[in-house]
Amino acid sequence: MSALVSEVGTRTAAAAHNLVKVYGKGDTAVRALDGINVAFEAGRFTAIMGPSGSGKSTLMHCLAGLDTVDGGSIHIGQTEITKLNDKDLTKLRRDRVGFVFQAFNLLPTLTAQQNILLGLELAGRKPDQQWFDTIVNVLGLRDRLHHRPTELSGGQQQRVACARALVARPEVIFADEPTGNLDSRSGAEVLDFLRMSVRKLGQTVIMVTHDPVAASYADRVVLLADGRLAGEIHQPTTESVVNALTHLGA
Amino acid sequence: MLKTILAGLRARTARLVLSSIAIALGVAFVTGTLVLGDAVEAQTRDNFARSARNVDAAVHLADNSDNTVMRDGIPADVLQKVRSTQGVAGADSREYASAALLGSDGKARNAAVQPLPSTEKLRDFNLKEGKFPAKADEAAIDVKTAQIAKLKVGDKLKLLDKDNVEHSFSIVGTYQQGASSMSMSGSDHVVVSPEGLRTIVPDQRIYEIVAVAAPGVSQQQLVDNIGKAIGSGYKVQTGEQLTQETLAQVGDAAGEIKTFLLAFAAISLIVAGMVIYNTFTILVAQRTRELALLRCVGAERGQVFRSVLAEALFMGLVASVLGILGGLGVSAGLQALVGTVGGPSGDDVQIRLPISWVTIAAGFGVGVLVTVLSAVLPARRATKVAPVAALRSQPDSHDDVARTGKVRIIVASLIALIGAAGVYFGLQQEKEEPAMFITGGAVMVLLLAVLLVGPLYVPLVNRLFGKALRGVPAKLASANAGRNPKRTAATTAALMIGVTIVAMVTVVAGSGRETMNQQVDKRFPADYEVSSNVWNQPLTQKFADELSKVRNVSQIAPELSAYGESDKLKYGDVTGYPADAIGSLVRPELAGGTLTGLKDNEIILREKEAKEAGLSIGSSLKISDKEFKVVALIKDNSYGAGIVTLPAAQSILKDNAPKGYQKLLVKLAPGTDIAVARADLERVIATSPVAVLNSAAETKAELNSQIDQVLLFIWALVGLALIIALFGIANTLTLSVLERTRESALLRALGLTRGQLRQMLVVESILMALIGAVVGVLLGAGFGWLLVQAISNAEFQISFAIPFGQIGVMLGLAVIAAVIAAALPARRAARNSVVAGMAEA
Ligand SMILES: Nc1ncnc2c1ncn2[C@@H]1O[C@H](COP(=O)(O)OP(=O)(O)O)[C@@H](O)[C@H]1O
Ligand SMILES: [Mg+2]
Repeated sequence: MSALVSEVGTRTAAAAHNLVKVYGKGDTAVRALDGINVAFEAGRFTAIMGPSGSGKSTLMHCLAGLDTVDGGSIHIGQTEITKLNDKDLTKLRRDRVGFVFQAFNLLPTLTAQQNILLGLELAGRKPDQQWFDTIVNVLGLRDRLHHRPTELSGGQQQRVACARALVARPEVIFADEPTGNLDSRSGAEVLDFLRMSVRKLGQTVIMVTHDPVAASYADRVVLLADGRLAGEIHQPTTESVVNALTHLGA
Repeated sequence: MLKTILAGLRARTARLVLSSIAIALGVAFVTGTLVLGDAVEAQTRDNFARSARNVDAAVHLADNSDNTVMRDGIPADVLQKVRSTQGVAGADSREYASAALLGSDGKARNAAVQPLPSTEKLRDFNLKEGKFPAKADEAAIDVKTAQIAKLKVGDKLKLLDKDNVEHSFSIVGTYQQGASSMSMSGSDHVVVSPEGLRTIVPDQRIYEIVAVAAPGVSQQQLVDNIGKAIGSGYKVQTGEQLTQETLAQVGDAAGEIKTFLLAFAAISLIVAGMVIYNTFTILVAQRTRELALLRCVGAERGQVFRSVLAEALFMGLVASVLGILGGLGVSAGLQALVGTVGGPSGDDVQIRLPISWVTIAAGFGVGVLVTVLSAVLPARRATKVAPVAALRSQPDSHDDVARTGKVRIIVASLIALIGAAGVYFGLQQEKEEPAMFITGGAVMVLLLAVLLVGPLYVPLVNRLFGKALRGVPAKLASANAGRNPKRTAATTAALMIGVTIVAMVTVVAGSGRETMNQQVDKRFPADYEVSSNVWNQPLTQKFADELSKVRNVSQIAPELSAYGESDKLKYGDVTGYPADAIGSLVRPELAGGTLTGLKDNEIILREKEAKEAGLSIGSSLKISDKEFKVVALIKDNSYGAGIVTLPAAQSILKDNAPKGYQKLLVKLAPGTDIAVARADLERVIATSPVAVLNSAAETKAELNSQIDQVLLFIWALVGLALIIALFGIANTLTLSVLERTRESALLRALGLTRGQLRQMLVVESILMALIGAVVGVLLGAGFGWLLVQAISNAEFQISFAIPFGQIGVMLGLAVIAAVIAAALPARRAARNSVVAGMAEA
């Protein structure tokens, strides 16, 4: 609750209210999300953490409009997305949200450049050439633009995914374990970039992770356990996150 | 291991069902074709057995009889001798006469009149309605004839004899005749009493005497007795021999149909084999990871390999059983179709499903062998990679999309060379048939070479088509179709084969039709042609005079074909026209000399005949002892050896000249309204029972409809192959959709709507269909051109023409079918939830 109160006055990029998500029916039903109230401020880097099976991915999928909910509401900006139909949801994802997944982020048939511009093309929008160049240079993808995903390393693939998420300047970028498949150096590069995009470019990033080091890049960590909110940490460090997790009994 | 296999089968139901359908369709097609061949054979045998049924002995003229004996037939007193021979319970003569039958529309048609055998057992037709004729003025009529001439029991049957005298009979019954030389000729036929027959044709011409033996007399005894009784000059056979002899002939005829159907079965086999092979390649490729996992947990390479084979064997068996059942259905369906179109005995078609061991063996052979073989290669590939590498591999990554090997290119080039040599050899052939078969076989070899290098050009064609596409979904579709050239090539290959063959046949037939059109134009400078529709009922001079009086008619030219022995020509067959019509209404292509002003002792000779006989302009020759001087040479072969004047033709025929003409050419005054003229002419035509008004346009239409009918049959058969091919596309797409679940989910997450996702798959399907169809059309047109070149010779020129309309229809159908093929996979892909798709391993 305190999280909601503390955000009054700042702009909210995404918010969930009494969010419930149930998998299965009857005896085998699992309440993956059990009445979640959380808000994510615009222009900040938030990490969602918790033990495995605590509902992190489910929360992110619901927030991003990738999955339906069983109760409560979700807002992206001023839009209540839990009221939208599939078509409008698809448009919302296309126009206002960016994604970085753990793996299989890219279409194997397209080059890196085509992958970066895919979202814009789908939306029928012209890319801003200057912005595109900035992103590509910062991410060091300049000489990799015409390669296909199979010709890129795992770290490069994730950077291409970051570039795609950023190039459309979405209201929110959702990242689900973006560094989960990377070695620590490539992971650090990607995380650096995400933090930079928030600090310097004013981007909003919500990242799911189970790695305390990754979480320490964020401005704030939201802790989940058994589908419920279990606390939060502002200006986290690796130690404070590990500490909190230990208290959760993970 | 068995448990793992069964569990695997259960887990991949959707994919297995799809591949099983592919196998079953292929098997159904092959068995269906074989069953159909057997059925056609059985049907024909049974029909023919009818004309020899109950016959214990048969008498024919000896094969070495001379011509006059042959012409007059078996003398009537032989029948009496046979009847009084010891051991004969009954005997009848078989003969038939030609007469013109007046339909209820008043138009005459040529009909065969047979006498009713007095011995009931020797009647080779089945009564359908009413009774057989008993009195001289009664007749029974064939059911098909009754239908065409719109006659029924109780109506009057009017027959015209040679002199156009009308004879009236009451129709007392209808009957069905088994196929015989008579009913196969396609002419209409009726049965009258023997006395009734004599009122129409006084002269009897018996071609066969058949007899039944008295109880206790063997066929051989009967034959011996009859042989002794009638003396030499005759061939006497037992009923069994007669049956065998006829069956041998029928066997040949049915064998031809069977060869055609077998050739077709071979094509369907290849198409089905490719679809099955492709399906399995994809199936195993998708399972590479699973197989690798099995190996990681301790399964040996051989075990994994065997498990894939066992699975293929199981599927092959199950699908073969389904396919064989389906094949019986296909065969029954096609027989019903042929029954409605009307075959040799269209009214008598019974659906038969003879199942031979060959059919069953072929069905299982195709289903099981092709399936297992199709599984071996990909399974070997799957088990060859190191388990860890396989675990890491992504679909369509490097190792999956192997480059088209050099070996493949070399092999394809060699095959192409062989094909080209075959085509060259075929083109050198003089005769039409060997030219057609050699060239036809050679282009199939070329097709094989083209198919082999499919992975080389299919991506190029795809990129070409892709350039024309707009919008993200369409571009993604093009990229997807291009991602695995081998797979796309294999998928489109089946369709390509089908389309190539249809296009080739269509082009050849279309060219033939175009040529006929040109010939019709050249042959008929006349506006109309009036001909007799009964060959021995010529148009009278009186009728010609009436016709010339019709308003707007500027000229009438009668035509008379004549034949006489010649001292120099091999065949002295010529066509006679009035001298003033030659060069105007009759306009053959000239090779030398002049056409106009032909005299009665002059002849316009065909160039080829002249060369063969060593004649030139100015030489002279004799036909029927009449002397002719050659005044001109022509190229056309539609006038026999040449053209003479009408009086000359009559004098060649001497006493045999008919009392009239076979044809009248009608020329209208310039600027006459064709519709008005036709109405005027038809009023006069209506007064003659045999005259039919023809025109160039109608002739063309007639010829075209004949070719179109043949085409329709081929289209129907190949259509079945196309269905299998399109099923292959659907199959590939469905498997691709399953394979790309994660990608589809990613695209949906990034903002591709459900509709766009469906659109993407539909476009991919259309692209694959178009690649197959367009390349097929190009190949078919090219091969068609080669065939046309091969068949054409100095004698018989075919000009190449592409029937754009029909080919357009074909391409249109391919697109529609592609949309249908994509429907299910697209639905499936769009239904998947994004999150579930992302979670899929
Ligand atoms: N598709 C699903 N069907 C059933 N249960 C699911 C499904 N997805 C997730 N769950 C369950 O929901 C809970 C939360 O899962 P998830 O959000 O993936 O957790 P996390 O990402 O934190 O590891 C877990 O208990 C998990 O087993
Ligand atoms: Mg998770």
